[in-house]
Amino acid sequence: MKISGSYTLPVAPERAYQILQDPAVLAQAMPGCEGLEQIGPNEYRMKMNVILAALSGKFEGKVRIADAVPPTSFRLIVEGSGRIGFLKGDGLLKLSLANTNPSVSTVVSYEGDAHVGGTLAAVGQRLIDGTSKMMLKKFFDKLVSLAH
Amino acid sequence: MFAQKFEYTAPKTLDEALHLLANGAKPLAGGMSLIPMMKLRLAAPEHLVDLRALKDLNYIREAGGQLHIGATASHYDIESSALLRQKCPLLTETAAAIGDVQVRNLGTIGGSVAHADPAADYPAALQALEAKFVLRSEKSERTLSAADLFVDALTTALQPGEILSEVIVPIDDTRTGTSYLKMAQPASGFAIVGVAARVRQNAGKISFVRIGVTGLSNRAYRATAAEKALEGKTGSAADIQSAAALVARGVDANSDLHASADYRKHLAVVHAARALKTALSRIA
Amino acid sequence: MATTTVKTETFVGKRIRRREDPRLITGTATYVEDIQMPGMHYAMILRSPHAAARIRSINTKPAEAAPGVVCVFTGKDTKGVGVVPCGVAMPDLRVPQHTILATDRVYFVGHPVAVVVARDRYLARDAADLIEVDYEVLPAVADPEKALAKGAPAVHPQWPDNIAFTYHQDGGNIDKAFAEADVVVKQRIVSQRLVPMAMETRGVVAEWRGADRQLNLYTSTQIPHLVRTLVAGMLGLEENRMRVIAPEVGGGFGSKLNVYAEEALMGFVSTRIQKPVKWIESRRENFTCTIHGRGHVDYYEVAAKRDGTILGIKLKLIQDVGAYHQLLTPLIPQLSVLMMPGIYNTQNIRADIVGVFTNCVPTDAYRGAGRPEATHGIERMVDVLAAELKMDPAEIRFKNFVTKDKFPYATATGLMYDSGDYAAPLRKALDLVGYVKLRLEQADLRKQRKYMGIGISTYGEICAIGPSPATPAGGWESATVKIDPTGKVTILTGTCPHGQGEETTFAQIAADELGVGLDDILVIRGDTAVVQYGIGTFGSRATAVGGTAVYYALQDLKAKIKKFGAMLLESDDVTLIGGQVVDNKTGKSTTLQEIARASYRALKLPPNTEPGLIATRFWEPPNFTFPFGAHIVVTDIDGETGQIKIRRYVAVDDCGNILNPLIVDGQVHGGVAQGLGQALWEQAVYDDDGQLTTGELMDYALPRAHLMPWIESHHTCTPSPVNPLGVKGVGEAGTIGCSPAVVNSVVDALAPLGVRHIDMPLTPEKIWKVLAAKH
Repeated sequence: MKISGSYTLPVAPERAYQILQDPAVLAQAMPGCEGLEQIGPNEYRMKMNVILAALSGKFEGKVRIADAVPPTSFRLIVEGSGRIGFLKGDGLLKLSLANTNPSVSTVVSYEGDAHVGGTLAAVGQRLIDGTSKMMLKKFFDKLVSLAH
Repeated sequence: MFAQKFEYTAPKTLDEALHLLANGAKPLAGGMSLIPMMKLRLAAPEHLVDLRALKDLNYIREAGGQLHIGATASHYDIESSALLRQKCPLLTETAAAIGDVQVRNLGTIGGSVAHADPAADYPAALQALEAKFVLRSEKSERTLSAADLFVDALTTALQPGEILSEVIVPIDDTRTGTSYLKMAQPASGFAIVGVAARVRQNAGKISFVRIGVTGLSNRAYRATAAEKALEGKTGSAADIQSAAALVARGVDANSDLHASADYRKHLAVVHAARALKTALSRIA
Repeated sequence: MATTTVKTETFVGKRIRRREDPRLITGTATYVEDIQMPGMHYAMILRSPHAAARIRSINTKPAEAAPGVVCVFTGKDTKGVGVVPCGVAMPDLRVPQHTILATDRVYFVGHPVAVVVARDRYLARDAADLIEVDYEVLPAVADPEKALAKGAPAVHPQWPDNIAFTYHQDGGNIDKAFAEADVVVKQRIVSQRLVPMAMETRGVVAEWRGADRQLNLYTSTQIPHLVRTLVAGMLGLEENRMRVIAPEVGGGFGSKLNVYAEEALMGFVSTRIQKPVKWIESRRENFTCTIHGRGHVDYYEVAAKRDGTILGIKLKLIQDVGAYHQLLTPLIPQLSVLMMPGIYNTQNIRADIVGVFTNCVPTDAYRGAGRPEATHGIERMVDVLAAELKMDPAEIRFKNFVTKDKFPYATATGLMYDSGDYAAPLRKALDLVGYVKLRLEQADLRKQRKYMGIGISTYGEICAIGPSPATPAGGWESATVKIDPTGKVTILTGTCPHGQGEETTFAQIAADELGVGLDDILVIRGDTAVVQYGIGTFGSRATAVGGTAVYYALQDLKAKIKKFGAMLLESDDVTLIGGQVVDNKTGKSTTLQEIARASYRALKLPPNTEPGLIATRFWEPPNFTFPFGAHIVVTDIDGETGQIKIRRYVAVDDCGNILNPLIVDGQVHGGVAQGLGQALWEQAVYDDDGQLTTGELMDYALPRAHLMPWIESHHTCTPSPVNPLGVKGVGEAGTIGCSPAVVNSVVDALAPLGVRHIDMPLTPEKIWKVLAAKH
């Protein structure tokens, strides 16, 4: 599944770039994330407990940052698997200065692929698009609040 | 397809149910979505409290110029209610369009609304009806509008320990016409798009329009731009068409196997026009 | 000798209600799931969530330690069990080792990896979650055309081109036909993957009786005897030590015409734990681990004269095999090739099949098995040709039919059509639907930019499968008819009806032959310890082949009855009529009961005659049978939404003689429902990673009762000369005739927009896109 979109963060690109790669910030912003633990340069082990209405699922996986070009772009690769299925997202994030007055802000646009497998893929098709959008929205909303 | 082990309680009173819910139990109100998720082990609640056993949540009655529907009224109860048919036909028409007979016999309005499936039928009608929702917990009771209740896909304003206990809908006067129209997804019966229209006419002019849309995006919504566009008009085919053209504008539509976002938006426009036309034709 | 009134009531040809239905509709039938045994254990199978992966390691210890768990087996434990068999032999067939549990790799989502055995099924399910499998995920390929492309991931590393088999067939002189053609039309046509979806999922109970060295295997199958032979072989068990019982079987549609890993696996488990074990397939498993149907991409070319005469047909057929061959996988597209000329008189064909491995569950027989694909192809192509030549689709068909004076008719593909009058059902269907008036109405509607279509399909099919040389494992069928000392009749059939109603139709045949009532007859099937060896129920064969075996066994039995009757009447000139043997000279008679008692008491026997009344026949059919018919579908399309509404569905089927019109109606209705399913709603969709994204009934759209149109079912009758009953078969006709009629109708509706073809399923969005693009 292709995913794309953009959000605006109320900080300058340099700051946006920094928080988007800050494991402490990412851990707080990623919905259901229960912690990121560095296991290599730009690579983290992740634990998630995704709760969505009655649905709940624990996932373990990795977050990796690649092709970093500060402060304009990087790739974010997220992989997780659990009993109910597995998820893989691979997206290119691009940051650009938004010319908005009065305060400076950054447009973060993303484009990539999301793969879902296991039970989730087999029974969740109807809801994958909407819920992935919701997760991304939650992620960026939280980032906005953390950016201040 | 075997659920994880869970505890099950069918309390006799609402207070008892609310007490259990306050202590972490999850409500079961028909189970048309929850039970399949449990069988697939996508959900694993440790303790279920079956609200359908509660007689005091299953009612449909008129009071204070409004209609009060208890949370555990089944879709069939609503579909077949003579009171609703007479005073709120939009809701009976919507209930009759849900799933299949088995789902309508077991599923409840409270369960459906609280689950907030983005393709459920009721939310479109309840948005158009400007319904009110009574939320109760062991310690509190509050009433929310549809706009405040429906937050996102499968997400409502309900807090842990809180249940939806009642849906309140208005009684329309005779100059009101309503219609719910959907394209059903052939496998699930859920709405690919569903549009509820509620219109009132005065002296040849449309005085009041409410349009609720479901299936298109993560939450059901009121198409206010389209409503405004039609109010004050005569309701000609051209009026309807130009109003309907606004129902999906600016909406972040979802895609799935059954319909792309573009097709959903197109269907929303077509169904809005048809629902409005039918609603107008039903004004006594 | 008592005298009773001669019974004159006959049953064949009457609308007799199915005698199996009371138990089915009152919930008292016994399916595999209903079998309970002391000490029964339950198995849960852990399956791969990945379409392609290497198994690095499996840790079963946490599961083994879980409450109630008796044992856990993986592929290492089952290495001694034989592979899941492919019953088809072909010169260049590549057959991967299909072990019953994965060993070092998994090849499709749903591939069985381990089995947990526990004392209850909930505990088994809980424990399955505790098995830790370390997978190294590999690239997968799920689309057969992508699998053929250079650089595609290899499903089986030893065959990097993913080709499972190829098959070529030429008939007549195809190059000459195309050289002489005025017109050649080409079209790519897809018959999508479908999930057969029997209402009862599969299930197995295995009961090893160690002291007796006896394995009883209860399994939901269409072919109990073949399962016994093949599973005994897989388990290394002498065949006579194994008993297979197909209890009530809740539908199959071809999906239970197979031998599955789980059947051998449960046998293995039961011998290991020395206890009975039950496995019931979940609906989710049924989606991913029971065979799928169809999965064709066909490239057609048809050469014709300007007057519409078809000269030749070329077909390049790409069959999505899936990860393995199941029992008949490579045979199915060959059935398509046999059927590719349809019922048209062309002697020039060329077919090239390429079977392609994909990381998906295997395809195999699904209602129609190869013939719906072929019929969809030729019937679409005839319409494409008609559109090209601006001819009426009925007219072009009449022009090309094999005429009724040409039978038996040898086809370019090597078949011998038994009998036919192809124009008759089309003529009847056109009359019934009011074709001329409809075309006038359509012209009017087109002026108003409204879309109404009339779709015709005139199909032929191959039934009564089939002569043994053409059928893996044999194509004959067996029957035993026996009469008890008290005169009651029992039929043991080697077929295995699972919804077809043979408990009724076979009783009708016997009742008429013997002159007894239906209630005097019991039909038994599906138990290898009770019934002589048999082949099974599939390929619209049960009545035409199995019923014929019953008929011939009855003839043998009747001869013996007459011998005993003649002895008792002391006559040499007797007739068997109405359940009595009558002395033609004196009019004295003796009843079947008296004869039966005498035959078992055996105080006196006729010359060269053994005691008892029993006869067994194994009947080998000399040919297939070839039913045919015409289906016409009238559709109205919502120009705004693309939604299709079926206004009329007229089916005129010719299945030869009809033994029970009620049952034939049911078969037509069910067949049409599944044809509509393929035409309008159903599709098994794998994504690029090989995940089945239509993995349950919320996304896989089955035909529903409330979506069915009224089916106007009619018949013409051209008896088959192949069997004495004159029957042809009707189990698959509806499915075969339906889908092209629907698609032809919708394409006809959209013809003013220049539309020539749309692939199934015809979802409203597809139609809307066509409409939106052309406006």
